[in-house]
Amino acid sequence: MIHVEHLRKTFTTRTGRFLSAGRRTHEAVRDVSFHIPRGEIVGYLGPNGAGKSTTVKILTGLLVPDSGAVSVGGLTPWQDRRRHVARLGAVFGQRTTLWWDLPVIESLRLLRHVYRIPQGRWQANLSTFTDLLDLGPFLHTPARALSLGQRMRADLAAALLHDPELLFLDEPTVGLDVVAKDRIRDFITHINREREVTVLLTTHDLGDVERLARRVLIIDHGQLLFDGDLARLQAAYGSQRELHVEFSEPVPDAGVPGLTLLNHEPGRATYAFTGAAADPIARVTAHAPVRDLTVREPDIEATIRRIYEGDLLRAGVR
Amino acid sequence: MADVRHHLTLYLRLLGAQIRSQGAHRTSFILDALGSLLITAAEFAALALVLPRFGGLGGWTLGEICLLYGLAELAFVLMDILFGGFDAPNLSAHVRSGSFSTFLLRPAPLTLQVFASDFALRRIPRVLLAAAIAGYGLLHAPLAAGPETAALLTAAVLGMICFFGGLFVIGGTLTFWTVDSVEAMNVLTYGGRTLISYPMDIYSAWLRRTFTYLIPAAFLSYLPALHLLGRPLPDGLPGWAALIGPLAGPLVLAGAFAFWRVGVRHYQGTGT
Repeated sequence: MIHVEHLRKTFTTRTGRFLSAGRRTHEAVRDVSFHIPRGEIVGYLGPNGAGKSTTVKILTGLLVPDSGAVSVGGLTPWQDRRRHVARLGAVFGQRTTLWWDLPVIESLRLLRHVYRIPQGRWQANLSTFTDLLDLGPFLHTPARALSLGQRMRADLAAALLHDPELLFLDEPTVGLDVVAKDRIRDFITHINREREVTVLLTTHDLGDVERLARRVLIIDHGQLLFDGDLARLQAAYGSQRELHVEFSEPVPDAGVPGLTLLNHEPGRATYAFTGAAADPIARVTAHAPVRDLTVREPDIEATIRRIYEGDLLRAGVR
Repeated sequence: MADVRHHLTLYLRLLGAQIRSQGAHRTSFILDALGSLLITAAEFAALALVLPRFGGLGGWTLGEICLLYGLAELAFVLMDILFGGFDAPNLSAHVRSGSFSTFLLRPAPLTLQVFASDFALRRIPRVLLAAAIAGYGLLHAPLAAGPETAALLTAAVLGMICFFGGLFVIGGTLTFWTVDSVEAMNVLTYGGRTLISYPMDIYSAWLRRTFTYLIPAAFLSYLPALHLLGRPLPDGLPGWAALIGPLAGPLVLAGAFAFWRVGVRHYQGTGT
């Protein structure tokens, strides 16, 4: 579906004015390559300014790269703009595609004409999305009067009415409460499974990634740092698991052979370990009487933070 | 052909959406309409009250001046309604808010969407006023009634719409690079409009020549008006120059759209 080869994009910003003007260049994307097969959901992660949105702008045809090859469903986005965008949907959390002052249903009707969607197909999609996203209560409300969650649901419907093969989602759950996030994630899972829509998801919300994507791409400083399974990411770069122990009585020396002591207060201690938990637990209980203990899994957030901070890899293991 | 029809109906649908959106802000709409009507009315009233005291302007009667003034105003206001989406403040707002990117993400021609992105219905009262002024001019200027007069006056209005539309497109395109240039462009657009609202022989020769040969504004309505009123053309220009004069408008517009395409490519290169 998406083929990206050696993509590069440099921005030149002018500094100063007139005669004193200088130029500063910024390499937003440096030699990025990846392939996304049809029907996959891929999480595209990276800190602000890492090159995520530049990549997405190139893939959607908004931006022309300096070099490299991009093919989306056989088309080069910036060369064949209208045919390309007819086959994709995009939801950018920060802004809406809806007509601000018009009732949602009118925007959806206008999009039928913009995308030349056959009436029957449009009607069928509208009723499916109205059910799944519960659009009913606000179909006749102007977009400007919607809550953030309602607007996001309406925007999702708007992006999918024309049966796109590919969906770009940028921060689809930002600023939403847990229930609203769940509804949107369920919907994305649904359209991916039922309609084989390929989804490229850029987000800061790792909950989105854990729930939706099996595969992640991580970019920083314009370079792709990781491309692979979420599970492999955890295994390869995950922080160690943590064992939180509460002792029955204060322990003067909490050191246990074979375990790294992370933190120690008189009645409790935290250890780091890798692998199965049985052996570390046996060691700790042998060391001192234990009242309670918990094993805490490394979270993806910490893993990715560590990758960004570059303490694990810099010039990219693929 | 089916494509053309689809695009035309899409344009009208998008315009309809734009107009219904304006209905959401009814009070500001009415105030805007009244304000812009008052400005034109006051501007013209000053002229109409002062002029008879001097028995005309540079040998032009009130009726003849009304003809020039009314046609220029009519064309400009119609242009303003049609080309509003390209007006620099509107276009740069679209670029900044991201709605320009939204246009690029839709499978419809970009220019069609920009054309349909603004339609200042609030200017309709000004159209009526301008038509009334031009109508007064038609009745009181010594014109030969006939198909040639009708054709040339219509061509003059269409030419001016294209010409000022072209200036709007150029001004809007410049905002892809910088918004600082907008003021300079306004001098040309609004200055040009004011200039050709009056007989150009009242200006000094260098100003008239600049707006004849450098910026072909005089060709649009001034030369055709001279011809229809049986007056000689300036600088010994041949009579046919007045007949083809209005073509300067479409030429400027074509150039402006060529520049527009360069601007869009620049936008896609920098993604500002």
